[in-house]
Amino acid sequence: MSGLIWLHEDALRSDHPVFAAAGDGSPAFFVWDDAYLQAMDYGFKRLVFIYESLVELPVTILHGDQQTCLARLARQHGGSIYVPATPNQLLQNRIEHLQRDFDVVEVADTPFVELAREPDLGRFFRYWNKARKAAMSRGGGR
Amino acid sequence: MKELPRDFDSREQLVEQVAGLSPWLDRRDVSPMIGGAAPAAERLRVMDPVAYGRTRNFLDGAVTCLSPYIRHGILTLDEVRNEALARSEQPARVEKLVQELAWRDYWQRVYARHPERIWNDVEPYKTGFSAADYATGLPADIAAGETGVGAIDQFIATLLRTGYLHNHCRMYLAAYVVHWRRIRWQAGARWFLHHLVDGDPASNNLSWQWVASTFANRPYIFNLDNLRKYASADINTSARDNAVLDASYEELSARLFPRLEVAA
Ligand SMILES: Cc1cc2nc3c(=O)[nH]c(=O)nc-3n(C[C@H](O)[C@H](O)[C@H](O)COP(=O)(O)OP(=O)(O)OC[C@H]3O[C@@H](n4cnc5c(N)ncnc54)[C@H](O)[C@@H]3O)c2cc1C
Repeated sequence: MSGLIWLHEDALRSDHPVFAAAGDGSPAFFVWDDAYLQAMDYGFKRLVFIYESLVELPVTILHGDQQTCLARLARQHGGSIYVPATPNQLLQNRIEHLQRDFDVVEVADTPFVELAREPDLGRFFRYWNKARKAAMSRGGGR
Repeated sequence: MKELPRDFDSREQLVEQVAGLSPWLDRRDVSPMIGGAAPAAERLRVMDPVAYGRTRNFLDGAVTCLSPYIRHGILTLDEVRNEALARSEQPARVEKLVQELAWRDYWQRVYARHPERIWNDVEPYKTGFSAADYATGLPADIAAGETGVGAIDQFIATLLRTGYLHNHCRMYLAAYVVHWRRIRWQAGARWFLHHLVDGDPASNNLSWQWVASTFANRPYIFNLDNLRKYASADINTSARDNAVLDASYEELSARLFPRLEVAA
């Protein structure tokens, strides 16, 4: 297993499981993508917060288009692209595009609770009734 | 594909760098909340989950301000929960905080399973009105924090200045926008997402839907008595400056949702 890590704004942490999945020494990149940040409509405070979080991480910060940068990096480095899993639809679209040409591995974060069955999400308390016991245990029932 | 700098001598220098990268933005205020693992660890250290359980609804209660760090994956819900459990011999005393963390997990699960719910009504409004009865744009006086309602204008000013609001203020402000001004929740949600440092498509938009009643069994409203109970001393809760909030729940309900009264 080897490749590169594409870190995005939903996972600004150096011990996210994506690092272990990609293997020691895999280079990590964050792409500062103007079009993406504008599509998310972030205000200035948020951009500062994200940049402040980034400079502490073992990542190279690149300025450009996410898709173009990742495709170029993947060709340069070979191997897979490891990316933190996210429900963010804009990032999902980009991940799906990259999957057409590259092996892209989505790595889930440490879960809050481990549930045997997918809970009913109709209302919070239906979920909470099923999740409460695990939620109140260290490690979430893992 | 240019590499961007990572070394700065001061916060000001970093802020300059970000300003240079974002010419499309006109406001240039910076949040008191600082990004990164070290500030996150400090917030986690001072977290008081037991006091939280007693005081979280008060605007000066022991809330954690962890939201931007959790939102951007700097801290996990697992880590915060484990830390909360470690702070008390009796798990029941930290359950309220764990339950609030669970709200985020719940919204994230809804987002992952039903991404279309982020911008579409999950259910119809339960206010006696249909979506078409609500205006689609955010009025300028709300955007500027000049509604003339004392407490509401203070909450808006805080949002614009800091990029953070207490949960109860978010509920008050969202209720005011949707129910007092009859604006679609989407307009308010978009506005919050732009300004909040912790702005999250799931937690934000689905909470707006909860207030609006498109993802809840009834609309959320409040009145001046409720605000006075939870407000901190700096909030203007005078009846003169908050007249539209100063009524009983029955009166407000009749005023805000007249068609419900007719139906009932
Ligand atoms: C209209 C509206 C909009 C909101 N928008 C957002 C948003 O964009 N991003 C966001 O993270 N939260 C949002 N919330 C939820 C909640 O208000 C904030 O998470 C909380 O106020 C953040 O402050 P804190 O970290 O001090 O919270 P605390 O009360 O100390 O809670 C600890 C953590 O638990 C989680 N949490 C607590 N309450 C909730 C909740 N009701 N829903 C989801 N997670 C919760 C957060 O991650 C928070 O950091 C919104 C709520 C409302 C009513």
